[in-house]
Amino acid sequence: MNPLELTLGIMTAVGGFVDISELVFAAKAGSTFGYALIWAFVLGTIGMSVFGEMSGRVAAIAKQPVFNLMRHRLGLKLGLVTLMGSLISTLITCAAEVGGMALILNYLTGWPYPLLALLSVIALMASMWILPFKWIERTYGLLGLMMIVFAVALVAIHPPWAKLAGGIAPQVPPGLSTKELLNYSYFIVAILSAVMFPYESYFYSSGGIEEGWGAKDLLTNRVTCTVGFGLGSLLAIAILASSAQLFGPINVSPEIPGTSALEAATPFGKAGLLLALLGMLFAVAGAAVETCMSNAYAVSQFFGWEWGRHAKPSEAPRFTVAWIAVMLLALLIVLTGVDVMSLVEYAVLFSIIVLPLTYLPLMLLANDKSYMREHANRWLAKALGWLFFVVVTAAAVAAIPLYLLTSGGGG
Amino acid sequence: MSALANIKIVSQLLDLPIIDKDERSCGIVDDIELSGGAGKELRVSALLVGPGAYEGRMPRWLYWLTRKIAGDRMARVPADQIVEIGSVVKLKSRGEALGLHTVEDEVRTWIPRKGAL
Amino acid sequence: MARKLLLLLLTLASCSKGPEADLQYVSDARSVAAEWALVNEQAAQGKLTRTYVDSMHQWLRQQMQTDSSSLSQPKSAYAAEIAAVLDQPDDAAPAQLRSYADRLKQIEDSLESA
Repeated sequence: MNPLELTLGIMTAVGGFVDISELVFAAKAGSTFGYALIWAFVLGTIGMSVFGEMSGRVAAIAKQPVFNLMRHRLGLKLGLVTLMGSLISTLITCAAEVGGMALILNYLTGWPYPLLALLSVIALMASMWILPFKWIERTYGLLGLMMIVFAVALVAIHPPWAKLAGGIAPQVPPGLSTKELLNYSYFIVAILSAVMFPYESYFYSSGGIEEGWGAKDLLTNRVTCTVGFGLGSLLAIAILASSAQLFGPINVSPEIPGTSALEAATPFGKAGLLLALLGMLFAVAGAAVETCMSNAYAVSQFFGWEWGRHAKPSEAPRFTVAWIAVMLLALLIVLTGVDVMSLVEYAVLFSIIVLPLTYLPLMLLANDKSYMREHANRWLAKALGWLFFVVVTAAAVAAIPLYLLTSGGGG
Repeated sequence: MSALANIKIVSQLLDLPIIDKDERSCGIVDDIELSGGAGKELRVSALLVGPGAYEGRMPRWLYWLTRKIAGDRMARVPADQIVEIGSVVKLKSRGEALGLHTVEDEVRTWIPRKGAL
Repeated sequence: MARKLLLLLLTLASCSKGPEADLQYVSDARSVAAEWALVNEQAAQGKLTRTYVDSMHQWLRQQMQTDSSSLSQPKSAYAAEIAAVLDQPDDAAPAQLRSYADRLKQIEDSLESA
């Protein structure tokens, strides 16, 4: 295990963890329920680590990404249903990220939002065309590390650490009305969805194949999924905690993503504001690339096309056409004028519904000794895998009723 | 796993990815052609690859839609071209020799070759 | 079966109008007013760039406008309160904006307990 590669891998995972959905829901959760929803981020991160590790292990040992093996497991019809669900939810997520980028660039430059959406897509497509896979991932992940300003800002505002730590334990805050309880439940579902987006497993497992992972990389995989994702989730928790400290007491429940940047501006002024906005920009841009490529991976792998950015674009032509099409469709959605917050709501809603269909074949594959040999799931991975499968299935069933009853978490 | 000794068609062959002798992706095992008949030994005679092979595996309306989008081309890969079946099906020859990889080669002509590192 | 369906439709229909349906917009507007106050307060302390402040003003006002036009009771007291916020200049005093946010919070609480 190359220590430099491992460190870069962890740092990339940290910088790339937060996307527009986590940003939005972390800030809203903190302002609405204080520290009481930190445990939902912790739970989601553990789930993401469990399934991320499995998908990386499947890529390294079976040498096949999730969607190839998923079609084999589920068959054509159910596989098509999963593919369609995944494509739709990930496309909406991609559009939310592109819209988020345009918003953040508007906060930085004041240029018109539609123009910034177009320029964002051009820049993203240029980076995906020019850079090989490893450098696409690293560029956005490492630049996203500017998000660390949120963690430093939290320390600077001296939150009540004991109370914050208390939020790690699963809880239902006392004295909630029925409406507030429904809202709290909706936030749990939304946070789990935002942290465990299906595109992350597809991207991670395909990335493992792109980087030529083998059995020697299993430790890298495990460390990246635990340490990398764990540290990354601390950034989301920092946003939640700062929101609880700064926004909750003054009746702010951030209605636009730009308000979160005030968490860094409060202690550090303009420097903090700019670092926060730039960190958000690159984290969200990284997520836009991941969602776009994830859709291209999914459709290419499902139909057996050549795929990957380890090769030049002309060496995987249908894959190239696929990611260009996804990015342009995302741009079209943004240009219809639907606001970013609505896109985020739809993204988390559709994604949680698709999540059980994503994780079940992954678990069956990771359990299968004919593919995985001595690297098949042992008792801990099996137990955690099934536990989180039950959790995401329950969340998927509850998602639509909770969304309707709470008007998308609005109360 | 050796090719076609005793094989479970659905769980071990159908919907597996196919790679050719140059390790390039060449589609998925979309259907399987069997030879033999009732009361006789059934053998896998060919793999069927392409949207044309979906007929019979999906509802009529969905196959109609698939044909409109992707056409109904289908390549027939004789069973003797199979080298190995594991997590993928490996073939003896290059994809083009078996009628595979054709759309990929066609779409390649649309993609500029410059600019990528 | 038809009766149950009708009852469900009537219930859903009644939820789509009236103060209870407007609660989410009043809640949004309350937060937007409070965010606006916070932006202006931080701007006055020199902690924000001018571009960011102008951009936030534009988006906050747009959000408030959306909330205002989504109300099913445009002649209500809370509609008037939201309209009063929209009449404020972009660089309104934070204390003034906060007082609107506090009043909207009181209205929100009374709608919730109704």
